[in-house]
Amino acid sequence: MRRIIKIYLQKPELVALVLLFALIVLFQWQSGGIFLNANNMRGMLGLLPEVALVAIGVTLLMICGEFDLSVGSVFALMPMTMAVLMTQGWPFTLAVSAGFAVCALVGLINGMLTIRFVIPSFIVTLGMLFMARSLTVVISGGFPPRLQTAEIPTWLFVSFVGPGQLFRMSFLWFVLIAVLVWVLLAKTNFGNWVRATGGFLPAARATGIPTARVKIACFVICAMLAGFAGLLQSLRIGSVLPSMGEGLELQAVAAAVIGGTALTGGIGTILGGIIGATLIRVIDNGMVLSRIDSNWFKFAVGGLTILAVVGNAWLRKRGRDMKVET
Amino acid sequence: MTTRLRTLSLAALLALGTTAGASADQLSIVFTHHSSASNTFWQAVQRGFNDACTRIEADCQMIFTQTEGAIDQQLSNMDAALARSPHALLTSIVDDTAFDDVIQRAVDDGVIVIGVNVDDSEGAAGNARAAFVGQGFRPAGYSLGAAMSENFPEDGPISVLVGISAPGQNWSELRGGGVMDFLEEFAAANPDRDISWERIDSGTDLAITADRVGAYLNANPDTTAYFDTGFWHAAVARVLADRGIAPGEILLGGFDLVPEAVEQMQAGYIQVQVDQQPYMQGFMPVMQVYLAHNFGLAPADIDTGQGIVRPEDADAIMDLSAQGLR
Repeated sequence: MRRIIKIYLQKPELVALVLLFALIVLFQWQSGGIFLNANNMRGMLGLLPEVALVAIGVTLLMICGEFDLSVGSVFALMPMTMAVLMTQGWPFTLAVSAGFAVCALVGLINGMLTIRFVIPSFIVTLGMLFMARSLTVVISGGFPPRLQTAEIPTWLFVSFVGPGQLFRMSFLWFVLIAVLVWVLLAKTNFGNWVRATGGFLPAARATGIPTARVKIACFVICAMLAGFAGLLQSLRIGSVLPSMGEGLELQAVAAAVIGGTALTGGIGTILGGIIGATLIRVIDNGMVLSRIDSNWFKFAVGGLTILAVVGNAWLRKRGRDMKVET
Repeated sequence: MTTRLRTLSLAALLALGTTAGASADQLSIVFTHHSSASNTFWQAVQRGFNDACTRIEADCQMIFTQTEGAIDQQLSNMDAALARSPHALLTSIVDDTAFDDVIQRAVDDGVIVIGVNVDDSEGAAGNARAAFVGQGFRPAGYSLGAAMSENFPEDGPISVLVGISAPGQNWSELRGGGVMDFLEEFAAANPDRDISWERIDSGTDLAITADRVGAYLNANPDTTAYFDTGFWHAAVARVLADRGIAPGEILLGGFDLVPEAVEQMQAGYIQVQVDQQPYMQGFMPVMQVYLAHNFGLAPADIDTGQGIVRPEDADAIMDLSAQGLR
């Protein structure tokens, strides 16, 4: 039994999961049972897939040993590209493809610059954060076009489905993509290459892994996931604003770290990133239900986030220190 | 190589000469404020500013901050702008003390300084600016509350949520304060009714506001009205629609006539919106500078609006709003 507990305590994503459950129980109790009711879940499950998709991309990239701070800007650039093109008469399929092409291009540029000039991705993507945000404003001329929802199959992305209309289609997309990326990371050679590249780059190179291509692929996947998440949000709220996604990059990095992804690369799981993103959303939502005063709101969210990370680290240490018979 | 350098130097000198020549002949006006380029509201201000500058053939520049509400960046932008000795400085005054020195220095150097959009909470006594063009935030909040009260139920309890979009920032706090001033008066005038209000940190992102206010309304379904200090309640309207709540069951009101908000007025979910005419806030101070510079006329305060807009006005406003004129 102790052996099992030790194994699980050392799995960072499972420790985060324990904390997530603890917070859910706390908020459910504090809100008098409202936290888990259908209406609140429906609201939370609307925003969660969007944040979690960005977190999945960032987690993958961090496991590969790189950062992407431009995801918040790409989150806005993709739907803005689509909306602007649609106002110029482009059909949805072409406009959305062009949006994804822009995301892929941003990821490609991030990756190429990072690798070709051996610049920390932190710096490259910080630059891209500003450039992509600026492009979002420039292509909209400052006045975002209205989404032509009549020409967009919104049902495919955001309509309510499932028992009690609890989920949106975006949640199903999120689950599908999470499974695909998990399979990619856990069950394919590419996944091993990603971990090896992020874990110890010289050794990965020495064993013949195409580390440059692996990193570039991760940058592209990360940018495209951010763009898709932006598309989902813009369709859900029916608007594209140039300011959407501001600050999302920090949330995504925080989600990955809370879920146990190492800042140094090589270690982490997609499940961890998802749990981290869920934890952040649960804290935000739970704080509202707890009727925290607005002046203290950010303090409370920040404090609980730190508590989650400290609790995570503490439980992991307890797991490591736990002695079991061999 | 030497020839190329000489050519480049000559071109640079010519360019500098041209710029210097232009600034010597033209009225030069710099507009600094606390917002980033991705803020739709400020794009409308910029449109008014640019149109006015074109009309008087002035050399104009609007300088945005990199991050929303960054006072330090605005201050640095003001210093940089004043180093070029413009004829006039237009600026938002979002802090009561931070800009006092730089405004005093500008005035001492003969620069015409006009406060725009946000003023010192002490008004003209707060610093050396010549005039203020914009909305009185606290009175505007009060007006919003008063206009919305016409939709309050005639008897029974009144439970109000006030969303402070940016806790700690003058514009948001003052608008929210104005709403609560009215509610206090309303409660005093109706001592036999149970009238309560609460404030939350509602955020400056459509998705976040939807999530937080949605959670609050879920926990407090008897809420009578939600007031937002910006336009982000447009996303709350979508939450209500998704939940099958009919327009008017929960009253919504806020500020600024962005297309998202006007659209929800047309749908019946938003009952009252306060217009502060961003285009006018960009246009009028330029005209004041022109008159002051050419004819010595002292700039005067202009209240750009506590204009109450109701659903019946929405259709007429939509086109103007989409063009950034309202």
